[in-house]
Amino acid sequence: MLEVDDIEFAYGGSKAVDGCSFVVADGQVTGLIGPNGAGKSTLLEIIAGGLAPSRGRLVFNGVEIQGMSRAQVAQQGIIRTFQTTRELTRLPVLENVVFAAPNQIGENVLASLFWRRRWASQEAQLRARAEELLAWVGLTRLREEPAGTLSGGQRRLLEIARALMAEPKLLLLDEPSAGVYPAVRHLIAQRIREVVGRGITVLVVAHNMAFLSEVADDVVVMAEGRVLRRGPLEEVRADQAVVAAYLGGGHVGGTS
Amino acid sequence: MNLFAEAVGFGLVTAAVIALAAVGLSLQVSVTNFVNFAYGDFMTFGAYVAYAANAAGLNFFPAVLVGAAGTGLLGVGANLIVFRPLMRRKSRTLVLLICTVGLSFIVQNVIVLIWGTNSVHYTVTIGNALHIGPFLFTPGDLILIGVAFGLLALLHLFLQYTRFGTALRATSNNSDLAQACGIDTGRVINWTWAISGIFCAVAGVGLALETNTLRPALGFNELFVVFGAIILGGIGRIYGAMLGALIIGILTEVSGMFADPAYKGAIAFAVVVLVLLIRPQGLLPSRGRSA
Amino acid sequence: MLFFILDLLTLGAINAIMAVGLNLQYGQAGILNFTYYTFIAIGAYIAAVTTLGKPTLTGGVYQYILQWRLPWPLALLLAGVVAALLGLVVVLVVIRRLRSDYLAIVTVSIGFIIWNVITNYIPLFNGSNGLFSVPYILNGATVSTTQYTVEVMVVSLVVLAGCIWVARAIFRSPYGRVLRAIREDDVVAASFGKSTTASRVWVFVIGCFMGGLAGAMLVFYISAWNPAGFLPQESFILMAAIVIGGPGNYWGAVLGTFVFIEFLSEIERYLPNVGNGAVVGAGRAILIGIFLIAVVRYRPEGLIPERWLRWYKVKGPQPGEPPGGEPLTPGGGSGRRRFLGWATSRVKG
Repeated sequence: MLEVDDIEFAYGGSKAVDGCSFVVADGQVTGLIGPNGAGKSTLLEIIAGGLAPSRGRLVFNGVEIQGMSRAQVAQQGIIRTFQTTRELTRLPVLENVVFAAPNQIGENVLASLFWRRRWASQEAQLRARAEELLAWVGLTRLREEPAGTLSGGQRRLLEIARALMAEPKLLLLDEPSAGVYPAVRHLIAQRIREVVGRGITVLVVAHNMAFLSEVADDVVVMAEGRVLRRGPLEEVRADQAVVAAYLGGGHVGGTS
Repeated sequence: MNLFAEAVGFGLVTAAVIALAAVGLSLQVSVTNFVNFAYGDFMTFGAYVAYAANAAGLNFFPAVLVGAAGTGLLGVGANLIVFRPLMRRKSRTLVLLICTVGLSFIVQNVIVLIWGTNSVHYTVTIGNALHIGPFLFTPGDLILIGVAFGLLALLHLFLQYTRFGTALRATSNNSDLAQACGIDTGRVINWTWAISGIFCAVAGVGLALETNTLRPALGFNELFVVFGAIILGGIGRIYGAMLGALIIGILTEVSGMFADPAYKGAIAFAVVVLVLLIRPQGLLPSRGRSA
Repeated sequence: MLFFILDLLTLGAINAIMAVGLNLQYGQAGILNFTYYTFIAIGAYIAAVTTLGKPTLTGGVYQYILQWRLPWPLALLLAGVVAALLGLVVVLVVIRRLRSDYLAIVTVSIGFIIWNVITNYIPLFNGSNGLFSVPYILNGATVSTTQYTVEVMVVSLVVLAGCIWVARAIFRSPYGRVLRAIREDDVVAASFGKSTTASRVWVFVIGCFMGGLAGAMLVFYISAWNPAGFLPQESFILMAAIVIGGPGNYWGAVLGTFVFIEFLSEIERYLPNVGNGAVVGAGRAILIGIFLIAVVRYRPEGLIPERWLRWYKVKGPQPGEPPGGEPLTPGGGSGRRRFLGWATSRVKG
């Protein structure tokens, strides 16, 4: 369970996140929505360890993680995807996935040189698992291709496969369906539901209402750096304050 | 106290030359986002072109103008032929860096081919040292400091108060956004290379006068000091470069009072390394830019 | 003629050691170390001062530190270790800001400081006069020049083999994969819990160790060393050779250094004397510059591109057929990357 407690962050003079508090419950998908500039991506970046908040606490399963580096946050079991996909473009798709596995014995320098037998069998297992994940997202055919040659939707799927390879406890998905056509969007939503079925918690930032209604159990609405409303998507969508916030700076619903 | 003041005075002269060079480089880096490792050789080139004009009969100051124009053209030429195609392709910074190294080889050795490796001089007399207050300056020193100050002030006015200056600042901040706003970033980049070349050439001439030698490796050897100034001020930050140059200039000369002058460069740079350890982004306060 | 070839091969082997070391840092890990030659120089100096013993020059100044008389294998090892330690210090200084041009500037400048100190502080390594009459290794004092060349060549090849073994082992391991990931996108690597700092420090230090070994072999071969031998340009030239050869692949690095430095410097001897020596040197440098820009512009992956796919299919127990019944393709993609035909098919990445 992730507890966001009064987080504040300022870019120069303006506060992107201004006293934001909510709880992400275990075992479900929580959507994070809001008009542009509400601070959603900034908050995600803070949780993931890329930015340090000026105030507030983040508690994940009892551990305070605010101020931790990206690597430390990842080691706690929090894995993220990126708003613009960041695959390792020149490396093959399969290697992109295998790389993400945690606790690889062979990643230690000395082990890589001297204790080959120890990591070789782990390596085989990891590759098998990576192949499974690639099949699960439908990218098996492309496993040898450099990740940079994939289409937008394929890259989104790759990021999800990669994130799962890391054995996450909490998945932070930053607009995982942005820029993909409806069939792929539906596939991504399905896969996310399956993930939750395995006990992984998900926090997803999204704009597309169709996608959210498929995927999210519960939705947190952010505006101007803090939480505005919380609840099931249909309720929240009809709420006056939420509509006002969007009309002030955006549009509730639609296919952005 | 007298010696210290004199050392500070020498430091100001050194700082003037370094400031011109560092600002020119900073300007180019801030707009194009990669460091030109051939910059030192551009400085040498400017100094040599000035020398050629001078030797051909021109008076010293017009010769310097010719040198400045020549280096400006060199910069623009390098941009058009080498850098722009690569930047269009969004090449990695590494690739551009390696290119500048290649350019460095070419420029420095073309100078060797044309003018040989022996030291040459300008036909100008520095004049004798005078006591001005607690400082010890030659008329040449004063002119150098004055020119540096003047050029830097001009640049400041240009960047802050003209439309093109604003376009330049916009491009250096975010070139894609600037382009989207209708700014012709290609032209801005070309002019940046030209201005950078001018500063670079004047710095080269200043350096040649200051060390009283002009040989092909002149600028290249000075490159490290210029780098030091830039690191101190933060890479790509023009006013930081001025501050860094001032600090390094004075530091090198003052340190000569306490240690063997041969180590001047090393000491100054050791200080830079120290600053790096404590504050990697340079001395100036960081801008509020997202990572 | 025989000596020319042997000399070429020996220097080639030594240059290859440097290439493998620098390739570890730049090719595999993406760290732009623009002062690699400093570490080679330190290795050379350490090897010299641990085998020279007391200075025997009477009249005139000849100072240096240590003044030990160790057996040459120990001196060789020490050279590597000291270079590695220096590398550790340097990388810890720059580790907080590894943006490429920043790193290039800082490394170049650190190299300059070290060069400046060595040249001016005589008690260290005898300043600009340098060290000479470094003892021969093996039984070098009693055999002909040709035979000594062969002996040095053999030792260098053994050292080179060791370095290639290390580079290869790293390349084919998960550690190598982490390095590649960090090279491509260090934010992503960190986002998956990889310790980017530790990985980079290790590879940098190992690369410097190899540089130290190369420097030692070099000084054992030419028996002398002074600051003129490691001006900053040398690091640039070495870097250029690697980029041209193909940074992602250590064979490319070897080829690049061999062709580049070797051939060009040796062939000078057989060119007609055009003007004076400086002109020829300048001409060579200009060619290098043009070549460098051309390669980087038209073929950024170098002459021999990275071939990481190979080991992926060959080593270890196979995971079996992937679900869906698709056979393991022997490189439907890699067929497209067969740039040099016979050369790359023989090259295992």
